[in-house]
Amino acid sequence: MTRTSFWTQAMAITKRDVMRERRSGEVLWVTLPFGAIALLLIPIAIGTDRPTLRAIGVGMFWVIVMLFGVLIAVRQAHTESQAQRDVVALTGIDPAAGYVGRVIASFMFLIGFEVVLAVVTVALYDVPLDGWAWMPLVMVLVGAGLSLLGTLAASIVSTGRSASALVPLLVAPLSVPLLIGATQTFEALRLGRSSLTWTLMMVIVILLLAIAGVMSARTLQES
Amino acid sequence: MATLVQKKSPVWPWIVMAIAGLVTFVAAMTVPPDAVQGQLSRIMYVHVPSAWLAYLSFGVTMIASGIYLWKRDLEWDRRAHASAEIGVFFTGLAIALGMIWGKSTWGTWWTWDARLTLTAIMFFVYLGYLALRRTTDDMDARAKRAAVMGILAIVQIPLVHFSVIWWQTLHQPPSIIKPEGPDMDTVMVLTLLTAVASFTVMYIAMMVKRVELARLEDAVLIAEQTNTGPAAGEAVVAPDLSGGA
Repeated sequence: MTRTSFWTQAMAITKRDVMRERRSGEVLWVTLPFGAIALLLIPIAIGTDRPTLRAIGVGMFWVIVMLFGVLIAVRQAHTESQAQRDVVALTGIDPAAGYVGRVIASFMFLIGFEVVLAVVTVALYDVPLDGWAWMPLVMVLVGAGLSLLGTLAASIVSTGRSASALVPLLVAPLSVPLLIGATQTFEALRLGRSSLTWTLMMVIVILLLAIAGVMSARTLQES
Repeated sequence: MATLVQKKSPVWPWIVMAIAGLVTFVAAMTVPPDAVQGQLSRIMYVHVPSAWLAYLSFGVTMIASGIYLWKRDLEWDRRAHASAEIGVFFTGLAIALGMIWGKSTWGTWWTWDARLTLTAIMFFVYLGYLALRRTTDDMDARAKRAAVMGILAIVQIPLVHFSVIWWQTLHQPPSIIKPEGPDMDTVMVLTLLTAVASFTVMYIAMMVKRVELARLEDAVLIAEQTNTGPAAGEAVVAPDLSGGA
């Protein structure tokens, strides 16, 4: 019997999640339009005054990314049954590789989600493009952080009572350092200051989440 | 289960809690009022110790969670749970007292100050921790999941603590722990430290009683799970399938 490497196992899980998304279209046909509708509803609620919309556009974009991105990152909490988890565990896949595989899949979906919503935000809110050279980096950091956090939270709650309702409650407040990092990066750039501290904060949060996720994977699989 | 249920519940934690509460009350009511804020400043002698207890409780939750994952002893899980529950109570108390003080001083119950907002978020994070504990009756699974969350949630504390330094919004920066020393009157500092010490003692007493209660809750859960009696009691009997023969 040959032993497959960590990354081969992780990629197998990623492929499974991508295939599941291709079949269900949950991110593309449900969450993404839902996020775009939210961006459309906000000006209706607070007024369509253009200077106001320009001022709040970037902040609104990140809030929508956080709140709806959580739905993407935690989708496995309600799409994966206990029986499916048991089968994956019985195949002998390293739990840490399973975690990394799910994170990679969520990360890919989140990046796509962020890119589409960024275009929608620029179009609807007429957001000034100052400092947008930093956008790809911040998007990658937020995508990585949210996918790490969401996957970890989904593993923690697993298939307990009220699992699908509880995961967003756990993830939304814990994603605050990412939201602060993302919004403050652009605020610092707008004021002509260095945004390195905020970027560094996000990197530290991501590293801590990655360590926590990988180290707790086996414990959570056993629970 | 026999080890979970103690024959005699200790009384000393109740006495300690009463004495600590009395000490705080007397200290807060006898200290001279603030020159600017007047009598309103007395809220500080409960608000600050409450916030301190919130930090302490969540710190203990993290440490107890880590020890649980290391030793797999459910007693540490009970300690983590008890501490988080006490922490949530005192976070709520700190927020409520802050709001009362804010209404009189700032003219509003709530303002979007960094410290206030992040404290409210910390409150919700630990409410989530407590909600997580209710998702399963399997004590081991519950303990493992809660332990990971108990460690993860600690990220909120440095954010809350340093928020007054990073953003410099409405909430005042640290008044006592600062490089140049406290910028408060000595009597007020001593009163505040007395209140903090009393609250800390109160926390220990509360922990003893709450862990005791957690043991009883687990004993009840085990009793329910191991109950092999008839599901519907004696009111329902098995049907006679012999045809009366």
